[in-house]
Amino acid sequence: MKRRRLVPCLIGGVAAAFCAAPARAQAPMPAPVSEPDDLSGLSIEDLAQLMVRSASKRDEPLSAAPTSLFVLTHGDIVDAAATSLPEVLRLAPNLGVQQITAHDYAITARGSNGIAASNKLLVLVDGRSIYSTLHSGVFWDTQTPFLEDIEQIEVISGPGGTLYGPNAVNGVISIVSRDARDTQGGLIRAAAGAYEQDVGARYGFALGGGNAMRIYGHAFNRGNLPANGGATDDDGYRGWQAGFRADLGDATDQITLQGDIFDNEVDTRPEDGNRGHNLLARWSHAFDADRALRVQAYYDDYRRRFSLVSDSLQTMDLDVQYNARFGAHDLVFGGGVRTTRDAVINNQNPLQLDPPRRRLWVYNAFVQDRVRLSDSLSLIGGLKVEETSFTGIELLPNLRLAWQPNERHLLWAAVSRAVRTPSRVDRQLQSPGMLLPGDDFVSETLIAFEAGYRGQPTARTTLSVSVFYNLYDDLRTFEYADGVGLPIQLRNGLEGHSWGVEAGSSTQLMPWWRLNLGLATLFKDFREKPGHVDLSFKDAAGHDPEVQLFARSALDLTDRLRINAGLRFIGRIGGTNPVGSYVEADAAITYRLTERLDVYASGLNLLHAAHLESSDAGTAQLAQRSLQLGARVRF
Amino acid sequence: MRAALPALAACLAAVGPARAQPTEEAVQATFLPKFARYAAWPSGRQPAGGTPFQLCVIGRDPFGRLLDAAAAAEQIDGHGVQVRRLPDERGAAACHLAFVQGRQAADTGRLLLALRGQPILTITDARAGPQRGMIHFTNLSGRVRFFINEAEAAQRGLSISSRLLALAAGVTQRR
Repeated sequence: MKRRRLVPCLIGGVAAAFCAAPARAQAPMPAPVSEPDDLSGLSIEDLAQLMVRSASKRDEPLSAAPTSLFVLTHGDIVDAAATSLPEVLRLAPNLGVQQITAHDYAITARGSNGIAASNKLLVLVDGRSIYSTLHSGVFWDTQTPFLEDIEQIEVISGPGGTLYGPNAVNGVISIVSRDARDTQGGLIRAAAGAYEQDVGARYGFALGGGNAMRIYGHAFNRGNLPANGGATDDDGYRGWQAGFRADLGDATDQITLQGDIFDNEVDTRPEDGNRGHNLLARWSHAFDADRALRVQAYYDDYRRRFSLVSDSLQTMDLDVQYNARFGAHDLVFGGGVRTTRDAVINNQNPLQLDPPRRRLWVYNAFVQDRVRLSDSLSLIGGLKVEETSFTGIELLPNLRLAWQPNERHLLWAAVSRAVRTPSRVDRQLQSPGMLLPGDDFVSETLIAFEAGYRGQPTARTTLSVSVFYNLYDDLRTFEYADGVGLPIQLRNGLEGHSWGVEAGSSTQLMPWWRLNLGLATLFKDFREKPGHVDLSFKDAAGHDPEVQLFARSALDLTDRLRINAGLRFIGRIGGTNPVGSYVEADAAITYRLTERLDVYASGLNLLHAAHLESSDAGTAQLAQRSLQLGARVRF
Repeated sequence: MRAALPALAACLAAVGPARAQPTEEAVQATFLPKFARYAAWPSGRQPAGGTPFQLCVIGRDPFGRLLDAAAAAEQIDGHGVQVRRLPDERGAAACHLAFVQGRQAADTGRLLLALRGQPILTITDARAGPQRGMIHFTNLSGRVRFFINEAEAAQRGLSISSRLLALAAGVTQRR
């Protein structure tokens, strides 16, 4: 039937839309959006049974946050073919995502990607920071949430400003799970393919008094990825995660309690894998319409074993934030303290942390004021003060100007300073005769200049464009301690700048067809500072493509049939181990068999049997095509 | 680009629109004036004979003329439903029902708190944030449903009919 003509048609249509995108603001739409039938004759019972079309982005309130922000909604996440958190993050055009092995990814914003280099991102899961103090990066194989329970993911590229925690240098990813009151009832999802299988369930129930709770659990298995030339890495990966979330309280007091526990294993060596658990409590209290207090505390504990290395980390964190509004001011201030205790035992090679166990502290205090200068113009000034066990006091100021002439348009500009404070590896990794500890390693710094637009240039299009110029100093280098031979020492010998454009648009072409386009460019120029020679060939500058392009189409072909398909072009990664540019696609076809049962077919990396994404020659495996059939039951 | 447009148009013709499913906004807009039928206000706040219920949209208006049309079609025991749009809580004292949505989630919370203590049936949408009015729209399995905080409504002298409560995805009951 029509579908056979549809596929070539869509490819042409997507390509055409890419070319047409900049001009669309002025071009008339091909056809009017059809008005829904008159519903007012229906009873409330009938209304409650009506299937509704999924909401389009155009109807969401425009966020007034003057940052480069992309939001992935619950619908975006569930409709996509992605089966894991890192694959979901490919939906954000302002992120660089490189699959390294079946279980590991390198993810960054605005460059500096790579296993070691992607250490300038703050990632929060319901307010819990998940970057590791070992190396300031994120171990993505310790993050296996049940995707159906995610409410939204905010992706900020650029320094996160005052209100986010430490390490928000190149970007912030904030993953927010659904309120337990919005996940009542049961959901079971099962999906299987040759490469990957996944089964999970959630059950949500009322606790009385308007309070609610849910419990969930899921298990997954992923096969080995094809080797990149050399020997296979046996990177097959399987495990499970379970947890709960309870939401209590009323408009004045809101309390959230949540926790997760996970365990997984990797085939590389016996006993390789990760396990951990966490517990978080958050209390928000509104004194009145203008004053609110939020207190949050969490405990997080995980242990990783890989290749004869054992790494464990316990984190305790307490944060307090107070909001007050008076006159033209919107004031936020607060502070936090975090302590971590780690233990790293390396039986694989002579590199050791000294001491192998260490408690670290991070203190921060912040204040931010948003002043309305006029009805449309706001000035935001913020200052964060941060101190860690390895550094003195760091001052992190940022200044932002937001001009919002009406609800549909926001123009903003910002300048901020951000730092990546030294990690355990930076300061205390050593090996007699080979590596001296980086006793003098200081924070890597960034001064970022940004400007952007976000708004709805037409009734059916949302558009976000931002430009940035990043000025880095004191990035990490590997240098001969005495300048001529071993031992090596980690130093702050690299400086440079990078600049680029990020853009994303979402257009409701038809009531049943939404098209999203995205673009990210990155140009960089890094050099060794006088007197420094970097043996890692500027690894800290990262391994990034200059261009990434994205197109994504969401089609509601009938009441029951939904097709979500994405296409991405990732440019060539240069350097000593170049990675060729590639085009890849993913798609998910969901059919609503009954009101309670969806069946779907989905696929990742559809265009090639296997392709390389990471320039880490020693570790990277090939990302491969993965097809799945699945079903989702609600009760 | 010009050459691409006919291809695009042909593409659209090949598919044809899916059967018109209402949007979430259209269904919510239809619910809103109907809520007046299933709630009772304190005696001093019931609209006088012949005067309409005041349905206010405070903050953002995601409905536009969908709501005007739905309100115009509603007659409740001789009372019409009049839609008023307010930028903030000022002037809200005369509202019987208020759909509340700030530009950002935190603004919704502020507006709700500012309305606290008045006999106004407040309504919010989960998509705009976690802040909840007495009725809180959500999407369950592709349908518009809502949570009802009966306890808070009762504190302000409002009572909600059992027919509406029976439809709720969850009810915070009176203690």
